[in-house]
Amino acid sequence: MRMNGFRRACVAVLSASLISLGMQAPAAAGVVGTAEAIASQDSNARAVVDATLARADVRAELERMGVNAADVEGRLDALSDAEVATLAGQIGEAPAGGDALAVIGIVFVVLIILELVGVIDIFKKT
Amino acid sequence: MIRCAPVIATLAVALTGCATSPPLADGLPLTAPRAIELDSTPYFPQDDYQCGPAALATLLVASGVDVAPGSLAPEVYLPERRGSLSLELVGAARRHGRLPYVLASTADEMVEELEAGRPVLVLQNLGVSKLPRWHFAVLIGYDADRNVAVLRSGRERRLEMKWQRFAGTWHRGGRFAMTTLRPDQIPDHAEPERFVAAAAGLEAAGQRSAAAVAYDAAIMRWPREPRAWLGRGNVAYADGDRAAAADAWSRAIMLDPADAAARNNLAELLLEAGCLDESRRQIERASALARGTALETAVSESRSRIDATSLVAARCQLEDRAWPD
Repeated sequence: MRMNGFRRACVAVLSASLISLGMQAPAAAGVVGTAEAIASQDSNARAVVDATLARADVRAELERMGVNAADVEGRLDALSDAEVATLAGQIGEAPAGGDALAVIGIVFVVLIILELVGVIDIFKKT
Repeated sequence: MIRCAPVIATLAVALTGCATSPPLADGLPLTAPRAIELDSTPYFPQDDYQCGPAALATLLVASGVDVAPGSLAPEVYLPERRGSLSLELVGAARRHGRLPYVLASTADEMVEELEAGRPVLVLQNLGVSKLPRWHFAVLIGYDADRNVAVLRSGRERRLEMKWQRFAGTWHRGGRFAMTTLRPDQIPDHAEPERFVAAAAGLEAAGQRSAAAVAYDAAIMRWPREPRAWLGRGNVAYADGDRAAAADAWSRAIMLDPADAAARNNLAELLLEAGCLDESRRQIERASALARGTALETAVSESRSRIDATSLVAARCQLEDRAWPD
């Protein structure tokens, strides 16, 4: 019947659009990312790294290092969860270095000590 | 923490240039040219401590990205540390649509990359282990007969360094070297796992179209690499292409029936598509496989969501398909 066909078409179009509406849902929470899947096979990785926690940690550290708040999110977004977890450790453990001049000073002190104890011989006048 | 020290560099190198590595000619593969120099590599003289942005800009521009070190600084520079971290250079390369490929820790891959015309970003420790002076430079060539490495480095457009000295600073720097690839470029020496992991980095960084190109290239070269199919499915799903995602994930599972991630993702998709029976079957397999791994939480969350679904109004939209066992 003609009417029946029209109705059926309407229902089909409507349900198709409703379904596709549902399909547009952004990359859903339940899907495991490839980087995550790869990291899960790394036996060295800590079994449970709370990704949200690690990100919050690095976010705070980057800001403390003088990175503009406006730039922090973009930098974090460019990294996978496993990388953020690594970074959290690195920033925390990285020794706080002096400036270039201070290091020159240290180099010379080391040189002089090495010279005095006879390990090196670069200040010899002959 | 990476800082750049042009002046002390020379001094420290002079101090520590103990020749522990062999001359270049001894290690050079027989097939490699005796000398290479990528003359056309751009050069960006570094501002104070800005060797990270300068070196990265050198690579990106060489691979066809229009970018200047000044605009990279906010993406990689750590003001308080007066330096940049190598991981952040990796991240920044992704933001510009390039695939950062970290090389193996032997010089062979560096030589192969130069042969392919790609300059190599290296991390050097110009000091000693106890007193490090971190520096990023770009290797643009070598000359085996003269035993030198040729670099774009700091304020030097063309720096020649004795090969052993270069190799020593690179060794003390932890042997970090990378190139930036267009996502469709796969180096001849590339290993599937490392290339797919690099593509997964693009996916994680939200660079979906670049990731899709890289996964496609990987599938073309290694059609039986399950992770490439997993990634292809993930990108297709994120783009809303369920049919392509279902195909790719099914393929990943067929190639690696123990892939909990692909089964979990396929189960999620089947749930959304109203195919509850099949979804349950896949998530059961996934949760058995994920037990005791880092994926356990993610999979069990999917599973409770699927278990909680009892009545599905729509009928399965993905019928007439054969699902992997």
